[in-house]
Amino acid sequence: MNRLRKSVSLLVVLLTLSALLLSAAVSAQEKVEIELWTFWGSETRRPIIERIVEEFNNSQDRIVVKHVYSPWGDIWTKTLAAVAAGDPPQVVVNDINNVALRAWKKQAMDLTPFIDDVEEFSSQFFPELWKTVVWEDGVYGVPFNTDTRFFMWNKDHFAEVGLDPEKPPTTWAELEEYALKLDKIQGNRIERLGFYPLFGNFGRDTWMIVGDNGVSWLDDEGNPRINTPHKVETLEWLIKWRERIGGRNVDAFQAEFGSQAADPFISGKLSMMVNIANHYTQIRDYGQHLNVGYAPVPEREPGSGSWSWGGGFVLEIPYGAKHAEEAFEFIKWACGPEAQRYWAVMNFDNVANIEGSYLAAEDERLSPEGQEVYRLSVENLHWTIMTPVPHNLAGYMDLVNPQLDAAFLGVKSPQEALDQAQRDVEEFIRNAEQ
Amino acid sequence: MNFFKGMKLRQREALQGYMFVFPWIVGFIVFTAGPLLFSLYAAFTNYDITSRMDFIGLANFQRLFARDKLFSTAVYNTVYYVVLSVPLRTVCGVLLAVLLNQSAHFRRFFRTVYYMPSVLSGVAVYLLWMQLLSPSSGLINMLLEMVGIQGPAWLFDPRWTKPALILMNLWGVGGTMLLYLANLQSVPRQLYEAAEIDGAGVVQRFFKITVPMITPVIFFNVVTGFISAFQIFQEAYVMSTDKGGPLNSLLFYNLYLWKQAFEQFNMGYASAMAWLLFAAVMVITLLNLRLSKKWVYYEGGE
Repeated sequence: MNRLRKSVSLLVVLLTLSALLLSAAVSAQEKVEIELWTFWGSETRRPIIERIVEEFNNSQDRIVVKHVYSPWGDIWTKTLAAVAAGDPPQVVVNDINNVALRAWKKQAMDLTPFIDDVEEFSSQFFPELWKTVVWEDGVYGVPFNTDTRFFMWNKDHFAEVGLDPEKPPTTWAELEEYALKLDKIQGNRIERLGFYPLFGNFGRDTWMIVGDNGVSWLDDEGNPRINTPHKVETLEWLIKWRERIGGRNVDAFQAEFGSQAADPFISGKLSMMVNIANHYTQIRDYGQHLNVGYAPVPEREPGSGSWSWGGGFVLEIPYGAKHAEEAFEFIKWACGPEAQRYWAVMNFDNVANIEGSYLAAEDERLSPEGQEVYRLSVENLHWTIMTPVPHNLAGYMDLVNPQLDAAFLGVKSPQEALDQAQRDVEEFIRNAEQ
Repeated sequence: MNFFKGMKLRQREALQGYMFVFPWIVGFIVFTAGPLLFSLYAAFTNYDITSRMDFIGLANFQRLFARDKLFSTAVYNTVYYVVLSVPLRTVCGVLLAVLLNQSAHFRRFFRTVYYMPSVLSGVAVYLLWMQLLSPSSGLINMLLEMVGIQGPAWLFDPRWTKPALILMNLWGVGGTMLLYLANLQSVPRQLYEAAEIDGAGVVQRFFKITVPMITPVIFFNVVTGFISAFQIFQEAYVMSTDKGGPLNSLLFYNLYLWKQAFEQFNMGYASAMAWLLFAAVMVITLLNLRLSKKWVYYEGGE
């Protein structure tokens, strides 16, 4: 009897043990593996995204994310082929400006089934960024990172010519006035330029947004707003800068530009510029000798607005991906405040998550000056316009850019050029598939 | 070996032959002929790779000719390039080959120097040329300045972008030069000797003997030159601003096709463009073949 009892209890113990082992083995097998494709393969970015992935993997035991690096030139062609073949990766980093196109073409998956409360979920992100991922009634991605541009000036240069080093220009008129004082031009040879609108990281398109009170080429309804009086005026203004200094002189001066220590601002060849927030890191690392101030972009006239422009990337689940629910869990993590803070601080890059942005601005891994500049960049996001392309208008810029070229080359007047662009884009919209 | 039992030697050899080419045939059908036919069908659809493929008849072609402004720009740019580039390359190739066929000092050295660039290819060469063509600090404009010419802005001036690419591609003329050179050496010496005795000058000998004798190679180079010139893509993809600029002056046919296919996903539309280009090149090649009877001289008759 005793022996029987003993063997029964042994059996029970053995059974329980094996059941435990078995269930452990089963749950190990049940772990879902998902792939994240990014083009972040550089020495700086790769460890950062891999750390975010690793922390996600450690935070739970159901999903394992594997980071796959694919070069910038290949990643989206590969994704496209994978979607067409029906076996895409689970999460892909993609361009923020064409989410609608990919939604329409069934390349990206609608994420609404995985979001309990879209309004609440979206409130984590800057509204201008969230706007880019919404198409019709669906949500086709989650904004990850972005950038913004603001004004930077060399305080020593200001002091040297008798300007108040703590007072940056706030309007275009002041900008011109200061620039003339800061210029050092000997005949055709430029030694130093106070300001030139297209140096730094601010293009023709972006000045149009600043000049036209924050309205880009298309308004929010997708109507072309190309030949508005303000845009014509802005284009004239840009051309005036080029003519005053001389096109050839500008080109010759620009040909000497490089990056890092050869950056024109850092080498003291340029006193003021508009550049992306991340340019701060180059100034920090290579321009220790400079006293630099950072401020919003000067407005066209008082009250017209210190607008700026940004791009960025979203995380998407390609259409037809398996384990979409688990993939979305990872996206929530990567676009959540902690991961976003980490990305922001380590890259000095702007992120989509509002809380993550403000956390980064107070993060002690940044120097006090770094925190201050980062805070300015976060505030600047409120003025930063995104220019997502409507789903059926991909390629419309190919009709606008040549006209801008024509105006800059003096082939057409700014008014003629923008009128033509307006007509061409209107026709393009009429012919576009609905 | 039972498998081949009961077969005649000829049958057996035929079967073995087919077995040897079988992998190639499979590859050809799956990777070449299949996609080719598929794209022919796609040209008549609104195929966009991922969401649809509906038959829409000739609508793509209608849109190309009636409503697409950029298409005509792309055709103009490409024809401009082809018309200037093919004759120029041919003339330069022949002249270079004739020069390097002379018995001069350092002949081998010069041959190597002129051939070398055609060994290099691809993006690295284009990046190098972008530096050479830089308006103010580029080597080309610096050299021009030395002789008192203010060089153009090359890749930034829409009037000079295409000439810049045409000049750049002359750099690689060494490949065709080599073909001419080989051919020149097979021109019988006695023809020149006879002509010399008859009092023919250098120019006459060149046009009456050299050129006719190498017309088969010129013809070959013209035909392949036309085909490859119509396919110009990489140069513009790498060297233009905003992929095709300034002022769309480098928006070549294939660049526009690529943009339609991979930026806007209009794969059906792009397929229509591809087949149009194929048809155009085909017509030109047939025309070339027809015209060749008038000027290509094959020794020993047809």
